[in-house]
Amino acid sequence: MPNNKRILIIDDAATVRMYHRSILETSGYQVDEAVNGLEAMEKILGNRPYDLYLVDINMPKLDGYGFLKELRTQNISQAPAIMISTEAQEKDRISAFESGANFYMVKPIDPDILTAYCSILLDYGDEK
Amino acid sequence: MGLVRKRSDSEEIHNHERNQDRDFDGLVHQLASSDPEIRTWAARDLAEFKDSAKPLSRQLENETNPNVREAILTSLAVVGGDEAVQALIRCLRSDDAALRNGAIEAMENLPDSVAPVMSKLLTDPDSDVRIFAIDILESLRHPDVEKWLINVLETENHVNVCAGAINLLGEIGSDRALDALEKVKDKFSNVNYIEFAVDVAVKRIKGT
Repeated sequence: MPNNKRILIIDDAATVRMYHRSILETSGYQVDEAVNGLEAMEKILGNRPYDLYLVDINMPKLDGYGFLKELRTQNISQAPAIMISTEAQEKDRISAFESGANFYMVKPIDPDILTAYCSILLDYGDEK
Repeated sequence: MGLVRKRSDSEEIHNHERNQDRDFDGLVHQLASSDPEIRTWAARDLAEFKDSAKPLSRQLENETNPNVREAILTSLAVVGGDEAVQALIRCLRSDDAALRNGAIEAMENLPDSVAPVMSKLLTDPDSDVRIFAIDILESLRHPDVEKWLINVLETENHVNVCAGAINLLGEIGSDRALDALEKVKDKFSNVNYIEFAVDVAVKRIKGT
């Protein structure tokens, strides 16, 4: 099903980006990629903001927390963000939400759950 | 037209500060200054002293200014040695993602100092530290990297540690890794990502 929603995947692992892209494109989303928070910021500022961000935490140059804080505090984009990490401790979840994430998922990601979360967040954005 | 650039006030201040006590003891003293710029310069200049790992490590534990921290991490990566590596390993356990990533980048530049502790890092009780160890291997120029990663696939039971090893073997692995890659699929037969990542890695290694 074609979809005009644009999602930016931000992760330094090429295979992870490929995996998430394959899931999201199968669901009809338009997908773009960035290898760290800095490249993501450049893409956002160089284009129009995306409708949703999938953000890894540990990345060189600008990590996921720093990226989301910048995105929110500079009012660059208030589009929903899912923080995706290998870390499952409570403090990591809290840090993610404090940085501006709307959801927090622990790798490895189940395709159906990722698709469901994206759909919920994007539909909620449409209703607002 | 003059080609000599007029120095700014801040450059004058920096040079004034840098002209004070640039010997080891003076720099260590300045590393505890309340002024972050003085601490930054002290941290940078301490890179020239082989015994500076201890004072740099001590300051890093309490340092909150990102510029000073970056200067300390850069200097530790220059100084190297066991003291520096142990300080960087402590950073891997930090809740601060920026500090962890800075430590990973510093350790990537210390192959000779990091190699002796790599097996210990890859079997650390904390799975996050094991994942960061694989992040370090990504840019660590050392002949044992593939061997370490294959060993991870054969012995590790944490899915995200194995996922990191598979991702990296997809980039730097050779035919030697193929058997371990195929076997790790069975270990995590219910995890979609592992099957996907192994298939990507095997294709890259085989060049298909």
